[in-house]
Amino acid sequence: MIQHTLGEFEELVLLMVAALHDEAYGVIILESLEEKLKKKVNISAVHVALKRLSDKGFLKSRYGGITADRGGRRKRYYSITALGKRMLDNQYALRTSIYKQIPKISFG
Amino acid sequence: MKAYPPKNAVKFLRWFCMEDYVEEIEGDLTEIFEKEYEISSRKANWKFSWRVIKYFRPEFIRSFKSNHQINHQTMLRHNFLLTFRNFKRYKSSFLINLIGLSTGLACAFLIYLWVSDELSVDQFNKNGSRLFRAMEHRVRATGIWTSPTTPGPLAEALVSDMPEVEYAIPTSWPQPTTLSLNDKNITALGRFAGKDFFNMFTYELIAGDASQVLKDENSVVISDVLARKLFNTTENVVGKSFDYQHESQFMISGIFKSMPVNASDQFEFVGSFEKYKKGQDWLLSWANTGTQTLVLLKPGINVDEFNKKIADYIKVKTKNEITYRTLFLKGYADNYLYGNYEDGVLTGGRITYVRLFSIIALFILLIACINFMNLSTARASRRVKEVGIKKAIGAARKALVVQYLSESMLMSSLSLFVATFIVYISLAQFNIITGKHLIFELDSNRVLLFLGVTVFTGLVAGSYPALYLSGFNPANVLKGRLSSSFGELMARKGLVVFQFAISILFIVSVLVVYKQIEFVQSTNLGYNKNNLIYFNLQGALRDVKIQETMIEEMKRIPGVENASSTNHNMTGHNGGTYGVEWPGKDPEDKTEFERMTVNYDLIETLGMEIAQGRSFSRAFSTDSSAIIFNQKGIDFMGMTDPIGKVVKLWGKDRHIIGVVKDFHYESLHENFKPVFLIVEPNNTYRIMARITAGKEKETLGNVELLFKKTNPGFTFEYNFLDTVYQSQYENEQRVAVLSKYFAGLAILISCLGLFGLAAFTAERRLKEIGIRKVLGSTEIGIVYLLSSDFTKIVFVAIIIALPVSYFVARYWLNGFAFKVQLQAWYFITAGILAMVIAWLTVGVQAIRAARVNPTQCLKNE
Repeated sequence: MIQHTLGEFEELVLLMVAALHDEAYGVIILESLEEKLKKKVNISAVHVALKRLSDKGFLKSRYGGITADRGGRRKRYYSITALGKRMLDNQYALRTSIYKQIPKISFG
Repeated sequence: MKAYPPKNAVKFLRWFCMEDYVEEIEGDLTEIFEKEYEISSRKANWKFSWRVIKYFRPEFIRSFKSNHQINHQTMLRHNFLLTFRNFKRYKSSFLINLIGLSTGLACAFLIYLWVSDELSVDQFNKNGSRLFRAMEHRVRATGIWTSPTTPGPLAEALVSDMPEVEYAIPTSWPQPTTLSLNDKNITALGRFAGKDFFNMFTYELIAGDASQVLKDENSVVISDVLARKLFNTTENVVGKSFDYQHESQFMISGIFKSMPVNASDQFEFVGSFEKYKKGQDWLLSWANTGTQTLVLLKPGINVDEFNKKIADYIKVKTKNEITYRTLFLKGYADNYLYGNYEDGVLTGGRITYVRLFSIIALFILLIACINFMNLSTARASRRVKEVGIKKAIGAARKALVVQYLSESMLMSSLSLFVATFIVYISLAQFNIITGKHLIFELDSNRVLLFLGVTVFTGLVAGSYPALYLSGFNPANVLKGRLSSSFGELMARKGLVVFQFAISILFIVSVLVVYKQIEFVQSTNLGYNKNNLIYFNLQGALRDVKIQETMIEEMKRIPGVENASSTNHNMTGHNGGTYGVEWPGKDPEDKTEFERMTVNYDLIETLGMEIAQGRSFSRAFSTDSSAIIFNQKGIDFMGMTDPIGKVVKLWGKDRHIIGVVKDFHYESLHENFKPVFLIVEPNNTYRIMARITAGKEKETLGNVELLFKKTNPGFTFEYNFLDTVYQSQYENEQRVAVLSKYFAGLAILISCLGLFGLAAFTAERRLKEIGIRKVLGSTEIGIVYLLSSDFTKIVFVAIIIALPVSYFVARYWLNGFAFKVQLQAWYFITAGILAMVIAWLTVGVQAIRAARVNPTQCLKNE
């Protein structure tokens, strides 16, 4: 099996999908990211990341119902897969373990 | 208010984006757009479009490749099979298309053959681009007159004065002459030319050296055909001699191969110009014109600049004596197609007809293509189910386009065969009409061209139906909902209107051309051209006494009503002079009077009418110094009571004894011009005689006996004046005959189309007709119902075509100084004719449809 890697922005999007739990779709992800990052984010960048994450198997999606908003287009809700969760866990563990190795003295 | 994102951006997104993502992306973008719209509508619009463009990246662009492979061979076979089944099933449309397209193609090919032949005239010279003819613009009171005649010494002077000139030669116009060898007399067309003639032109010499053959003044170069006529061979002929006009001997110095038929100058022998000059002193003066001068410039010389240099050459050479003649060079080969000058400006010539017929060919082909389009789209309703099912099982639009295009291509290829056959069998007739020697031979260029035209025709004819049929929405057509939109209907009707407008234009043209020709033939020329013969004075007859005796004896032959001699052939400008002086003449005036030197009785022989005074008479001995003018001449001089007044001609006094009514001596393209007549039997070139109608053969036999007796060794060659008169209108006659045929064809093809459409409409409305009949409609009512639509279409065509044809007709007639008046009935006739033809065509279909038995057509549903 190919070992998938995760880019920085992809990781953020993946985290955000996981955080939004079942309510995550393009625009809400975009807005939450902008709020956290305190800067403008491209919607197309979000979509590209979502597409790549889905291709890698970290995300799955379903369509919501039709509403009068959005020109009658359905929302596509994303949720994290087990694989995605494991990836996030691995990333987190990796970072924490390295973080812990930082000698305290450095910031004296 | 609800906000909508920019339409085009959405369209673009939907077009390029992968299907899986369109929904999500469009939705999200719209949501953002709606939020931003509240803040600023303009910015939101702009941002939306910008964002859409950002999605134009590999991740989201869909694949444009068709995802299933087509087996091309099978598809092709399938297409052909369907095409043939369609042809078989709808035989009438098939035949209509075949006849229409093949006659259209045949017509285009014939015209192509003619046009390419016209364009090839005089193109056979290798030095063609450097070969020129010297011409002159001459200023006259009536405007500038452009003439190909130049003074005799011009060629020699050009060679010695102008370094740009490689060769320049004087030459005479080809004339029929009598040649004799032992007892054999034959008539041959001959000309005289300067010694470099064969260096300039690409006439292939079978024997002799190009620079040597015309060096000796008694040498002559003959054509291979003439050599065979004289000696029955072309071998060992060089060095032999024959008699020319029974007065001098020529020695053959070379033989040239007869020139191609598409050479405008045709002649059988060339003599030396030195010989021609002997005894013709007028050729030595710059004041007289009468020779052609041909010039070969050195390579790289710009003719326009050279023309500027020689513009006042005549003035310089005559030491400012002659100031009204401007010399210029014109491409030798150009003269054939571009030969008409008006007031010193080139106005075209035969090229007009070349262009005209090219346009006609295109139009006829177009009409034929329109038929195909119309019938195919009209028939579309029969085939919508086919299209619907094909599309539903997944046929791509491209495949359908290919199918219909291959159908029309097959149609045009079939038409090509039929057209080739038509061209093959009609070429002989076409040659007679056009006076050409066209041969239908296929070289690779022509094959390519014909194939090209066929493919083009197929594409044009097939494009509209192919795009139209393949564009159906399968869901709609399978439900049986096919509403032809207003636009389509208009397009179909528009095409028929176009066809009929062209046909009406043709009908009017035919009417006008025929009326004008009838007018030309029946117009009173000011003399009676019927039963007039003339023959040239040659040999012994050039002696005035023998000539006078001949005339006297001719008059005694029963059947000869009158005879005389003249310098003028009555069919064109023969020669003029501005040497007429009268009291009050403007010394600067250079208007030429046409000069007629005649014998006594000529006015009576021709049947000219005397307006004032009297004709020449032997009873008055002073008539040798008398002069007669035509009315135009008198008006021009501004005389009120001319009889007895004295004018000077070339410095000598002449008293006016009479005035003849204006008569036409040029074609009716030209207006009347001033003419004078004087009695000078020794300056006449031909005998004219009027013979009694009905006894021509006998009379001519007797005249011939007399001719042979007085002029032994010469053949009696005569012309009827009216035949020569007709030949002035050769071009018009050809246009008349050709436009008659083309009009016929255009109408035929248009009617075929209309016939097809009417048949189709009748078929589609069969049920309606059945119901109408059941409810009590009469047959007439149904015929009216079916034909009223077409009547409207043809009526619109008439309204469009009549003004156009009026302008075209007026333009053509403007070339004539004397012309028929355009009368309303020409146009009314054309309109009614078109309408009647259309009614007949539609009527046949309408009546057939109206007589249908309602039970038959309502039975099955």
